[in-house]
Amino acid sequence: MAAREPSRFLSRALPRASVPSIRPQGFLSRRNVSDEAPSRRLSDHLSELESGSSLSTPVPEGAAQSFDPVARAKARKTQLPRGRYQFRSPKYDRGPLHPHQPPPASDPSSRLFVPGPFSAPRAEQTYDSTVASDIMSLCYVHTPPGFKPPPKAPRLREWDDSSPYHKNRVLRGPRGGDVLRLLRKPIKFNNIPEIERITIHSYVNKAATENSSWLHVAGIAVQAISNVRVETFKSKTSVANWGIVPGRDSVAVKAELYGENMYHFLGKLVDVVLPRIKDWEGVKGTSGDSSGNITFGMEPENVALFPEIEVNYDMYPPKMIPGCHITLHTSARTDKDARLLLSAMGIPFYGKIVN
Amino acid sequence: MKSLSPALASLANVFRVPMSMAPARPSVSRVCHEILRQQQKPGPVTAALQASSFSTTSAMAKRKSGGSTTDKRITMIRYFLHHPLTPRPLRFSRNRYLRHWTIHRAWQLFQAQQRRKQELELMRQYQSMQEACEELRTGAGDGGKLFRVSMNKKGIFTEMFPIEYARMQTDSPPAEGWNYDWKKPERR
Repeated sequence: MAAREPSRFLSRALPRASVPSIRPQGFLSRRNVSDEAPSRRLSDHLSELESGSSLSTPVPEGAAQSFDPVARAKARKTQLPRGRYQFRSPKYDRGPLHPHQPPPASDPSSRLFVPGPFSAPRAEQTYDSTVASDIMSLCYVHTPPGFKPPPKAPRLREWDDSSPYHKNRVLRGPRGGDVLRLLRKPIKFNNIPEIERITIHSYVNKAATENSSWLHVAGIAVQAISNVRVETFKSKTSVANWGIVPGRDSVAVKAELYGENMYHFLGKLVDVVLPRIKDWEGVKGTSGDSSGNITFGMEPENVALFPEIEVNYDMYPPKMIPGCHITLHTSARTDKDARLLLSAMGIPFYGKIVN
Repeated sequence: MKSLSPALASLANVFRVPMSMAPARPSVSRVCHEILRQQQKPGPVTAALQASSFSTTSAMAKRKSGGSTTDKRITMIRYFLHHPLTPRPLRFSRNRYLRHWTIHRAWQLFQAQQRRKQELELMRQYQSMQEACEELRTGAGDGGKLFRVSMNKKGIFTEMFPIEYARMQTDSPPAEGWNYDWKKPERR
């Protein structure tokens, strides 16, 4: 029934709109002389609309006779739950064998459901429309068709069979340390580096030496700038001169940003906060964990520059605003690709560039 | 006063609707107001008027040794930090659930199409780059000199993008988009 309503209104409205009215429709929209041009006539646009409606198709005789929802419902083997039945997601995960399983996180009845996204961040739009293809063309390396790269030496070295004990021994690590670096593949259209997540981490040593208020203020400041609930962490190492015992004191807060939150945070960082830091040259060129994640620190007075903190700066005890470490995790496999991406997104680097 | 049903009252409390005069949990505005009132210093006139008969200071705050010395702002930060703002999970009836599901599926489908379109566009760009480079290498007639120059990666990973490149796109860019008189300032 409800589906028929608009079509009735539409059919009544269409002929009226196609007749050019003498009276200007002053209240609704402004009329210009150019509107009378043949290319902009309203009636021309309306004539492009399909006049036929699928709703006016004649219903076959038998369909109305056989439509019996009550009988259909009764014929069901298992009855549907009643209309206002509401599924309750289990509060605790009791394992895959329990009969009461939680729904997927996209289900609104799930306890993990987060509505959204509600906006299209500028940073994401910039990346998708410009930065991605620019990075792809900058990093392009041409290989002629049919080219095969020469095989590389194996990353784990064999033992020379100088001793009979070398048999079945596990392979040796690479030269110069036991760290196996990530392999860098040539950048093509399907592995252009992008920002995966941002971590804001703040270590508050006064939380252990003085009282918990330092941790609380740090937590709410990080929450305010990141729009993400923070996690707290206990110390893992002992620091003698701060009196920190591992496993006893909660000393750090961390927020992990993904998706929309991440791009909004990056936009704020690049547009508002970083340009206002006094005498800031940029992120050090030696920063990075050599697998594509770049970290830099922010002093407390720079954290206070974030617009969310600045607007009600008075509500934070000024001494307690924390500094933090910001880690930008990218999908690049090496630091140089990550730096190229971040410099395109507006984060400057200075000093000697080390990969 | 008309009493609300418990469900309505909790909803009103979660969404901060001032429905009843005595909410189950102190509302935000009330807490803020009280704390700010306690922090207010009386002006000279008020102080003189109040000096004799009447004081707004609570007895605990007046007492010298006792009373909390915590900063009021920290009290408020703790209040908001531990406040259970999360409402209960959404519960929909069958029709509303189906409507939600339809919209959700449509949105997922739309996003997948967008991603696919983006990927195909990048692939098209990559392949045309490949073709152009192959043409430059074999068909340009200069022995591949232009091709070798174009493959030079010097400075890409050390100088990277200039900072002027990184300008976030806006919904409403300026009418005069480019300042032709601008010169890059000298680095000190």
